[in-house]
Amino acid sequence: MTQTSRAELRNLQDKTAIVGVGTTQFGAIYRDLDPERSAYELGLIAFREALQDAGLKRSEVDGVIVSRLPHYGRMCEMIGLRHPRFVNVLPGEGRQSGIALQYAALAVANGLADVVACIYGNNGRSSGARYGGEDRGTTPQAMFEAPYGMTSPGAVTAMMFRRHQYRYGTTTEPLGHLAISNRANAALNPNAVMQRPITMDDYLGARYIAEPLSLLDYCLINDGGVCFIVTSAERARDLKHTPVLLHATSQASDITPVYVADDFWHEPMSQIADDLFAVSEAQREDLAFAKLYDNFTPTMLFTLEGMGFCEPGESADWITPERIGLHGELPLNTSGGHTSESYMQGWALHVEAVRQLRRECGDRQVADAQYGLYACAAPLATGHILKRDDR
Amino acid sequence: MSTDTTNTTEQKPLPPVNTLTKPFWDGCREGVLQIQFCNICDLPWFPPAEACPRCLQDDWEWRPISGHGAVWSWIRMWQQYFPGWSPDEYPYTVALIKLEEGPYMYSTLVDIDDKDVSCDLSVEVEFRTVNEEITLPVFRPSHGTTDR
Ligand SMILES: [Zn+2]
Repeated sequence: MTQTSRAELRNLQDKTAIVGVGTTQFGAIYRDLDPERSAYELGLIAFREALQDAGLKRSEVDGVIVSRLPHYGRMCEMIGLRHPRFVNVLPGEGRQSGIALQYAALAVANGLADVVACIYGNNGRSSGARYGGEDRGTTPQAMFEAPYGMTSPGAVTAMMFRRHQYRYGTTTEPLGHLAISNRANAALNPNAVMQRPITMDDYLGARYIAEPLSLLDYCLINDGGVCFIVTSAERARDLKHTPVLLHATSQASDITPVYVADDFWHEPMSQIADDLFAVSEAQREDLAFAKLYDNFTPTMLFTLEGMGFCEPGESADWITPERIGLHGELPLNTSGGHTSESYMQGWALHVEAVRQLRRECGDRQVADAQYGLYACAAPLATGHILKRDDR
Repeated sequence: MSTDTTNTTEQKPLPPVNTLTKPFWDGCREGVLQIQFCNICDLPWFPPAEACPRCLQDDWEWRPISGHGAVWSWIRMWQQYFPGWSPDEYPYTVALIKLEEGPYMYSTLVDIDDKDVSCDLSVEVEFRTVNEEITLPVFRPSHGTTDR
């Protein structure tokens, strides 16, 4: 697809804003395992907080998108929303969090809804989720994988990372820098699950899960809820917070039966980068931070390379503690990300982006937050540039 | 609740055999690795599907393939996600094989030490009987001439 054919992406530029965000207390409920904890309740708590944060009345919400929660109806019942005008359900995959924002923006920008609440609830830890081994052969993929013991998103990422090591000589040390940086950021985030700083020795000594990846490459398994509320940029300017605009957004994909991609998703990620930087006045050097989907640390390498922050195979050299830290050239995952703050499948990364652009992040606030990036590398990939609207 | 010991003797996952996949497993039992090929455009694909992903037509057949390929990548699984592997089998090796014909196939490697495995290693299929119905294709270092 040629660049000019996507000029229509400008139709969405700065038309909508995230005006309210809410998250449950990730650290507190991590220490309080509750097998009866309901994902809907977690969604409700996050919605209540986001509504209050936005300063909106519940009656003003006329759209709902839920993810990981199986049914929109139950969520609408619980939040007392009887007559929504726009509703959607997205599966509980991390790649869907960015897509939820896209749907909400499309609905608002085209008049299908005025205010859309995007709600996510995850009781995975309390309910014993392991993110592997669930499917013994119900899908065409699993029936040819499970007999060999192949399972889990982490294992496919490990496959890709091993290939990256082979092709480019990548070591695990840059992954360690990412894990350590995430944890250092989490130590400044009172809501993060994991706050004890880690060292390279801790990283290199962690037990293997799917070798070459080990425990500290992996996202946490924890409970939580997240909500963000989207409305028009115009409406946002009348609300209490500085609006955070959806400035540019794009989706691309590489869907195969084996999940992995021989180019480490370079093609979809570079398509997204081309779209974002064609639409936006902000370029890579103007980004105050990047929230990179970090289900497993190698995913961040693939994202940095695919989006042109460095050449393919060069992310290992590009990633230095100085560059990716809070005061660096491109601070990454300032909340602690999925490996240290909370595994909310991209949803909490969106909230952190909003809070950074509002400059509410206290000890972990980055300087001059005007534009920020969210990107998720996966077979179904998304990216946005969010913009602080100073008017 | 019954008092049997299912939990302690639980088996490794076995593939469910259905109409679509039965010829694959029948082939493996006979020592033949076969996948679907489109009769119109000759595209091979795996895992099985009801139609050619290029032509969208259901004019296809199972054809034996060379059994040769290369290790695209491989891992050692330490985490116990599935029952059926005894403690001394950990870590076990899983490999993603790029078949000579193009499609990819998850499998495992035999007749090789992990320290000798590398991406792009040439491999060829052999078969391991699991039970009367299921024989699994696995891959060993290639002794043949296939040079990719
Ligand atoms: Zn065909």
